[in-house]
Amino acid sequence: MAAFATLITQTADLIPSGKAHLRDTTQDGARALEAFLTGVERKAFRIAQIALRHEADALDVVQDAMLQLSSRYAQRPAEEWRPLFYRILENRIRDVQRRRSVRSRVMAFMPWRGEDEDDEIDPMAQAVDHSPAPPAQLESDEMMQALERALTALPNRQRQAFLLRNFEGLNVAETAAAMKCSEGSVKTHYFRAIQALRARLGEFQT
Amino acid sequence: MTADEIPSGLSQFEQRARAMLNDSAERLPGSVRSRLTQARYAALQGRAARQSHFMRRWVPAGALAAAALALLIVLVPGGRPTLENPITNSGLEDIELLTDSDAMPLTADQDMDYDFYEWAADEASGAAPSSVGT
Repeated sequence: MAAFATLITQTADLIPSGKAHLRDTTQDGARALEAFLTGVERKAFRIAQIALRHEADALDVVQDAMLQLSSRYAQRPAEEWRPLFYRILENRIRDVQRRRSVRSRVMAFMPWRGEDEDDEIDPMAQAVDHSPAPPAQLESDEMMQALERALTALPNRQRQAFLLRNFEGLNVAETAAAMKCSEGSVKTHYFRAIQALRARLGEFQT
Repeated sequence: MTADEIPSGLSQFEQRARAMLNDSAERLPGSVRSRLTQARYAALQGRAARQSHFMRRWVPAGALAAAALALLIVLVPGGRPTLENPITNSGLEDIELLTDSDAMPLTADQDMDYDFYEWAADEASGAAPSSVGT
């Protein structure tokens, strides 16, 4: 019995410090994850928006990627989060594109067109902004729209390589991890994307 | 790696495209920024809820199982290894019995008081003892 009493005492001594350590680690992890998500959310949204051309779909995709990362990969080292997050994001973008493709094919054979909630017009989004924009801002907006159109016209892999490398700032290895391809493929896709964008946006260079 | 570390060796075209994309990300509408914030909090709360659910469910169960196991090991005698093995130590017990002068005699011809047993048998049968008192 003496041995059991000693065992219980030692265990009781260990439990509070163990819990405190666990709590600190969890809080540090949560703070790091929040900082990471805060840092990537806007660019992630823009990448999804350019790929999907739909604000609500882009928001859903980003939210899914955030949930997926926090639920499945939060325990991984923080330096792995960025390529993992963008891999999840690209997978979700591809899922939405496939669903759209299937839906458009199915709907093409239907004699009627179903009304989808996603197709409802958001009056807030349609509201016209009457505030006068400065000329420089207008010019910038037009150039941005031209760049977006050019990016949308790119093949998926080239657009991914360009946005992840140029916009998000991933290096070649991280981009390859996010795109699930070799580093050589990343360089090729990126080079071809630049060539295509330059060919399309000649005036953009000046 | 931050976005600012990347563009070493970028052409003017790439730098301009990058600046414009960054600017568009910074100038997102308030409604979009709000939705992104909500999405972030939802993701973090979902993680915290999963962790606390795991802790609530498995940590007490694990502690209970460990305590029960410890109790079982300590309290059940069969669970403890015994130092005395009855089989291997039986020879020693036999030697002790044989050498003990106070123990019962193990053989018929050892220290038997035949006169006493003869007298006791006569007493039991009611006959006068033949040798006693003569």
